[in-house]
This record gives sequence, structure tokens and C-alpha cells, in this order.
Amino acid sequence: MRTFTLAVIGLLFVASSARAQKPTDAQIAHIVVTANQVDIDAGKLAASKATNSEVKAFGEQMVKDHTGVNKQASDLAAKLKVKPEDNPTSKSLKSGGDKNVATLKGLSGAAFDKAYISNEVTYHQSVLDAMDKTLIPGAQNAELKSLLEKVRPAFVAHLEHAKQVQASLK
Amino acid sequence: MRTRAAAGVVLLSIGAVLPSCGPEQPARKPETHTIVMEGVAFQPASLTVAVGDSVVWVNKDPFPHTATSKGVFDSKEISVGKSWQFTPGATGELPYVCAYHPTMKGVLRVTAAGDARR
Repeated sequence: MRTFTLAVIGLLFVASSARAQKPTDAQIAHIVVTANQVDIDAGKLAASKATNSEVKAFGEQMVKDHTGVNKQASDLAAKLKVKPEDNPTSKSLKSGGDKNVATLKGLSGAAFDKAYISNEVTYHQSVLDAMDKTLIPGAQNAELKSLLEKVRPAFVAHLEHAKQVQASLK
Repeated sequence: MRTRAAAGVVLLSIGAVLPSCGPEQPARKPETHTIVMEGVAFQPASLTVAVGDSVVWVNKDPFPHTATSKGVFDSKEISVGKSWQFTPGATGELPYVCAYHPTMKGVLRVTAAGDARR
């Protein structure tokens, strides 16, 4: 839980620092790709390690969906000739995600399933907050802004789906 | 005489059939309706079509979806940028979902050909 909190803190940092220092489009692109990759990494682990079939299927779904979103984001960045630029928020997200995966690797059975899906609920909510408060309003390029707006419903759907799976575990 | 009488019978037969395909009930051409899958939603989520019409689901999201109505139709996986077509053969209300995204729901209302909204 602690490791996951780091990723969440990273996103909260994005939201809270919005007024002080707006990320550039290149940084936003990097944050989006990193946020997706963090969820792909956790999803891959769940796909191979989860014991509950719904949790396993959810993990597989996250890999599939976020890989698709990342391909779209990378294609757009290439088209716009925007080179995604590493930044403190991306670094925080990546390190929080890596630690989350490390913690999950130490768990098994029902404990793994519960921890993974609980993190997915918190993570998707945090990504949505960051999208709404910082990334979407901060995007300067219209196509980047449009892409963020178009993928936002996927995060909403994942959040609701994760909540359903979480409720079924209780 | 026999030939003329036979022709008369044929003409009478045609006359008996004609009223059923008169101008009051013109044959309705089947239509094609499109449902877009985008933003993890079916757009429109609710659609009324006639028996024999075609319904095409087009996936505009960056990941796969399905259009699945348990026991009635199942597109299986519709890849990015791909589409799938279904032609309902009977009337009824068909709720359906994306098998991958349980929050993604739609309903297809199939009416008799003469009742469909044009």
C-alpha cells in the first residue's frame, strides 16, 4: 500500500502543482505514457499471478487497453513531432509503480488479489484527478487535448470495473 | 376457346394477388444502422431497427471491444478500427454489453418491418 501511495503522491503532485508550474505538452505526453505503462506492468503481474478469475481477467484487460492507449499517444506524439520529456512527475509515477510491483510480488493468493485490485481503484481515481485538474486543462496542442479527453472515459470505465471486482472479493 | 379461358383464369389469379402488393404497403428496403464504439460507450446506446435491417458496430477506441447479447448475438473481439455486422431476424428487445468492459451497455430494439422508425 505504501509503494502505491508513492504513485498516487506523484499524481497529486501533478494536480497540486498545476497552478505553480504547468507541465509542457512534451511533459504531459511523457506523464500519459508513464501512467499507462505503470498500469500495464501491474496488469501483467496480475495476469500471471492472480488466483481469482475476475482479477486475472481485469489484469489482462488493463494490459490490452493501456497498451492500446499508449500506442495512440505515441503515434500522436510522433505525428506532432513532440518528444515526450521526462519530468519529476513521470519519475515519481515510475518509481511508485516499480515499488508497487515489488510489493505485489511478495504477496500471493487472496492477499495478492485484494492488494492488486485495491491499488487499481486508487490508481485510476488518481489518474482521473490528474487528468481533470492538470493534464487536460494544461495541454496546449488541440490534438493532444482531444486525445486526453477521448481516453478519459476508459479510465472511468476501468475505475468502475475495478470497484465491481473489488466488491465481488468481499 | 380453351386457351382464352385459361388466360382469363391467369388474369383473375393475378388480380386476386395484386391488392396485397398495392401502393398502400410499399416494400420497405432494409436499412443499415451504425453504432460507434468510442469512449468505452456504444453511440447511440439505444437504437430501434426493423427486422432485416443491418446493424454495424464500428470500433473507434484504441483497444478491442465486443457487442454481446447473451444467447442472441456475439461479435467476439472487434479490433481497433474494425467493424462487425448483425442482421436481426426476429422482433424483440436485445440488451447487450461489451464482454470486456461491463460498464459499456446498449440495447437494440427490433420491431416488425412496418413499425420501425424511419
